[in-house]
Amino acid sequence: MEHAKLLSIYTYLPWAIAAIIGAGIFMAQAGRSLHIRRLPAIDAIEEAVGRATEMGRPILFVPGLAGVDVPTFQAVAIAGHIARLAAAYRTRVLMPLSHPVIFTMAEQVLKEAYASAGAPDVFRPEDVRFLSDQQFAFASGVVGLMNRERIATAFFFGNFAAEALILAETGQTLGAIQIAGTPSTLQIPFFIAACDFTVIGEEYYAVTAYLTREPILLGSVWGQDLSRISLAVLVFVASLTYQMMPAGLKALFSFY
Amino acid sequence: MIFVIGALTAGIIVLILLQTLAPVYRRRLTALVTFIVGLYWPLEFFYPEHNFLTPWRDSVAELGRILVAFTFGLGGVNLFLIHGRHIIRRTPNLLFSIVFFLGFFAMATAGMMKDFGQNWLEARPGPGQQGFWEASFNILFKGALLPLASTVFSLLAFFIASAAFRAFRARTLEAGLLMATSFLVMMANVPAGPWLTSFLPDEGILRWGRWENIVHWLMTQINTPAMRAILFGVWVGTIGAALRIWLSLERAFVSGP
Repeated sequence: MEHAKLLSIYTYLPWAIAAIIGAGIFMAQAGRSLHIRRLPAIDAIEEAVGRATEMGRPILFVPGLAGVDVPTFQAVAIAGHIARLAAAYRTRVLMPLSHPVIFTMAEQVLKEAYASAGAPDVFRPEDVRFLSDQQFAFASGVVGLMNRERIATAFFFGNFAAEALILAETGQTLGAIQIAGTPSTLQIPFFIAACDFTVIGEEYYAVTAYLTREPILLGSVWGQDLSRISLAVLVFVASLTYQMMPAGLKALFSFY
Repeated sequence: MIFVIGALTAGIIVLILLQTLAPVYRRRLTALVTFIVGLYWPLEFFYPEHNFLTPWRDSVAELGRILVAFTFGLGGVNLFLIHGRHIIRRTPNLLFSIVFFLGFFAMATAGMMKDFGQNWLEARPGPGQQGFWEASFNILFKGALLPLASTVFSLLAFFIASAAFRAFRARTLEAGLLMATSFLVMMANVPAGPWLTSFLPDEGILRWGRWENIVHWLMTQINTPAMRAILFGVWVGTIGAALRIWLSLERAFVSGP
């Protein structure tokens, strides 16, 4: 494995981004009001939970196929917030999983979510279940679960691959209201085609902040937005400057 | 050896503390362990070249793999509990649970006996021959599991058609643009598309009228920048989310009832 290089900009960029995000968190904690733009897909989450309650059917939450990584952790955090909403209406959340580490974490998060919403009796341990770590065995297991339980609402948040459309189309066939969010750019078109609402790109990491309005999370999202704008400006200015530089000077900047 | 004993002792102490401490201190301990473990990788990577943390890299990675292996056991226990309950209570899903147990034990037996039981129950196979257990494993894995996985994968073709049908209904300007672009890209990937414009020259301004060139422009000048812009946002978001998880600021993981 390589190490960071002292003279490379890439060594310092992550720390600069982390510092901007940290500043956002600090400002939010200090009481400064921060604004996040409206996200219709996340606004629809409560409506989707309410629909499952009205129909008396369970909700499905699939946190993707990946194991221990940031998008899956984010998906489990979103599942916790959705479970709190569902617990308020005494509705079950089914959560099939493909990775045993995420299984243990998800079980704890959902159990605590139901307990914190005052409905620990609604949580059934068998609702959080490990199916298989094989992609298509997992997909067929989830499809079977969706059909047997006649789910009313499906949430797909996390890293997905080819199974994304199989799951979303099954939900479509069942008439379920579906909300998806993924950082996997290749799966975004499939979710847009098959789901009612789709969260794309950086919006995926803003879901928990948007749902809870916690200052720390809002500050973090504000910092992410500022970092992205700063990076875009840096890329634009650096590209333009590099193009206009004389050839001799370009060589100086060619190390990275 | 010292590393293994040290890690085992530290693990046992942390487990005992997690079981005995009050929820507030349990959360603090979890946050502290997360922070210390999470600190290793960035420090090791961002400290230039080979450093004092580098010799521990393989051991720390190994520790992670061992912890994951433990949780696979928990996954198996969960499956046994859920399907065992279906069988005991004779629920409508009983048949699926019986198939699960049959499949689980058949695969586990064939897999283990293939490697460890060859001298126990079967004669040693001759050159080019398969023993009983190896043949059983191949039938179950290559003859059943892989074709079943391929079957599920093949369903995607039908699902793509139904999703495309809905997506391409030109009810709005965006959907109309999507449909037109999809038509261009699809046609460029079959011989008919390039053939239709093959009368246009390869050089000069008219070459941009050739089907494959239109699609190449769409894919490299429109599609790729859009995908990169989305990825750009995703990766900045990933740094933010990683920071929140590392510092235990994401309350979903640390808050109690």
